[in-house]
Amino acid sequence: MQRALRAGLRYHDFEVHAVGTGEDAVREAAAWRPDVILLDLGLPGMDGFATLRALRPTTRAGVIVVSVMPGEKDKVRALDAGADDYVVKPFGTDELVARIRAVLRRQGDVSAGEPVIRTGDLEIDLAHRSVTVGDRAVKLTPTEYELLRYLALHAGKPVTHTTLLRQVWGEYAVGDKYNTRYVVGQIRKKLGDDPANPRYIVNEPGVGYRLTAPGDSG
Amino acid sequence: MMRRFAPYAVAIAGAVAVTAAIGLVSSRFEVPGLSAFYLLLVLWLGATWGRGPAVAGSIAAFLLYDFYFVPPVGTFTVRGPSELLELIVLLAVALVTGQLAGSLRRTQSAAEALAADERAMYELATAALRSPEVTAALSLLSERAVLLDGVRRFALVAMDFGNAVPLAGGEVSPDELRQAKWAYENRRAIGVAVSDGAVKLLRTQPEAAGPAYLPLASGVAVMKIEDDHPDPADLRMLAALVGLADLLLDRRRAALEAERARGFEASDRLKAAILSSLSHELKSPIASLRAGLTALTAPQAGLQPEQRDLLRDLDGQASRLDRLVGDMLALSRLEAGLELEREPIRFADLVGTALHQLRPDLKDRDVTLEIDDDLPPVEVDELQVGRVLTNLIENANEWAPAGGKIAVGASASEDRLTAWVENDGPAIAPTDLDRVFETFWTRRARGSGLGLAIAKRVVEAHGGTIRAENRRRGPRFTFTLPLARVAASH
Repeated sequence: MQRALRAGLRYHDFEVHAVGTGEDAVREAAAWRPDVILLDLGLPGMDGFATLRALRPTTRAGVIVVSVMPGEKDKVRALDAGADDYVVKPFGTDELVARIRAVLRRQGDVSAGEPVIRTGDLEIDLAHRSVTVGDRAVKLTPTEYELLRYLALHAGKPVTHTTLLRQVWGEYAVGDKYNTRYVVGQIRKKLGDDPANPRYIVNEPGVGYRLTAPGDSG
Repeated sequence: MMRRFAPYAVAIAGAVAVTAAIGLVSSRFEVPGLSAFYLLLVLWLGATWGRGPAVAGSIAAFLLYDFYFVPPVGTFTVRGPSELLELIVLLAVALVTGQLAGSLRRTQSAAEALAADERAMYELATAALRSPEVTAALSLLSERAVLLDGVRRFALVAMDFGNAVPLAGGEVSPDELRQAKWAYENRRAIGVAVSDGAVKLLRTQPEAAGPAYLPLASGVAVMKIEDDHPDPADLRMLAALVGLADLLLDRRRAALEAERARGFEASDRLKAAILSSLSHELKSPIASLRAGLTALTAPQAGLQPEQRDLLRDLDGQASRLDRLVGDMLALSRLEAGLELEREPIRFADLVGTALHQLRPDLKDRDVTLEIDDDLPPVEVDELQVGRVLTNLIENANEWAPAGGKIAVGASASEDRLTAWVENDGPAIAPTDLDRVFETFWTRRARGSGLGLAIAKRVVEAHGGTIRAENRRRGPRFTFTLPLARVAASH
């Protein structure tokens, strides 16, 4: 698997360092300073989550976790612990490359610190707290705006229900997924987004939501 | 028998003795109103034995007094009105006195019996509840019950998950266990009943027949009561013991059920662990295959176009293998009865997710949606029902002709949502309408034959139903899902 991935990524002009354990990953990340780290959650020795926690303070690299089963909660935990995205085994090289490019692009966006986020017709002006679709201004409640803003700041990245609850309702929010589902439903209605065929806010089944990034195919 | 008539004998003997005493006194002294001595006797009889002996004593006194002291002496006849009046007063006073003394005694003895019952019950109940072994407590109870007059046998049979298990009170024959089971399952007592806080014997069958059966909440009391005139206090006590046995059997069952649930939980965890490790073992080599094959299809790998095509085909086969493994694991997960993670969610969201996932396959498809905005949310496992939708939509996609249509719709009734997925492809043969949901049954060469079987199991795990039918436009799959109990709006 490692050899195949290394070969596949090199064909797409990435430089790849591969290590076998979490301990080595933490050491290597500090020494070599990669842009993106691909982390298998089923590591021998130090487990994926411990590795993720150890990596986070020392590196600004984007972390994509590799999960075995769709629907396993490990990727939700990993996202809550600071991972940027996930892929589910088995995946093709093309899919992986697309994820890596998206993470790299977001890193570029964040450093640019743009006050206006655009995806398709949707425009979110963070400085003026205004949202427009095409030429139409959209009026959102404070909760709806906060949720959309958080998704927009992480456009292209899957955001878990737990993270949204905590970010929008506060650190000690007690609520369930239905709160976020309900608010997302309201936002979609106001944006004129069809829940059965969403253009802007996409469901991440078993995880949460993702605002489509400008460069995303969806 | 003797015990019952002894008080009457004493009453008559007493009346004779008092008559003798009166005769002795009146022969020496002239004392009026000596008949009052009889009242002392009657009072004593009533206080000691109750109304019956007191009345018997009164009548004996009346007759003896009339015979020996009322002129004409030596006959039962009466000379004049004053003598008659004297006799009537004696009888009336004796009767009333006896009556009063009798009722006083009854009240007192009832109170004593009740106090004794209560004391006995209290001792038994505390002993039973203190005992960690319910079976030991039940044995204690059964021993106490056979001490009661006329109770020959008091056995307790527990009903554990449909099996009759004798617990206390000696052996119970297989025939009796069958009877007990019948009584329990049909909630019918045989030979006894409990009403007004006492056990009542029903003499619907001959004495020689088997024991009486009284069904309880979690077991059956098997009793043999042999007494023509059982003491009501004993029958009340028996009813109280039955009540206590009922509670203890219930407690035992609750403990058994908790234990069983723990067992199931452990085996569920084991199954989940096995499935999880199995999926890891099966998926890892496929993941390596796909990573390697797709790596080589990159132009930079320097392979010829036809070699790349070959690798793409192989990657397609690896993906198919992955789907098959995934489907089989999903099916075994469902058959292992693993828990659903239900949550309220809008059906339109589920459809949106499924369509988003299948986007590449549905590129050239005309997919129409008939889902109202105001449908109430459903209470389902998001990922599992998502799988139902992707399986049904993929199936529709396989069968719809080139440029054909797929429609997904839903409507809500009182407690459930009815959803459907249809396409305008060829009809399903009427004989196959049920068989399409069977495991490994497929109409296509490419299918795993598991997609619809999984859909059926997921829907049924949610308490819904699924069916296939042929509509004018084409085949339609209809399934139901439970609606969420939360309010649709906040």
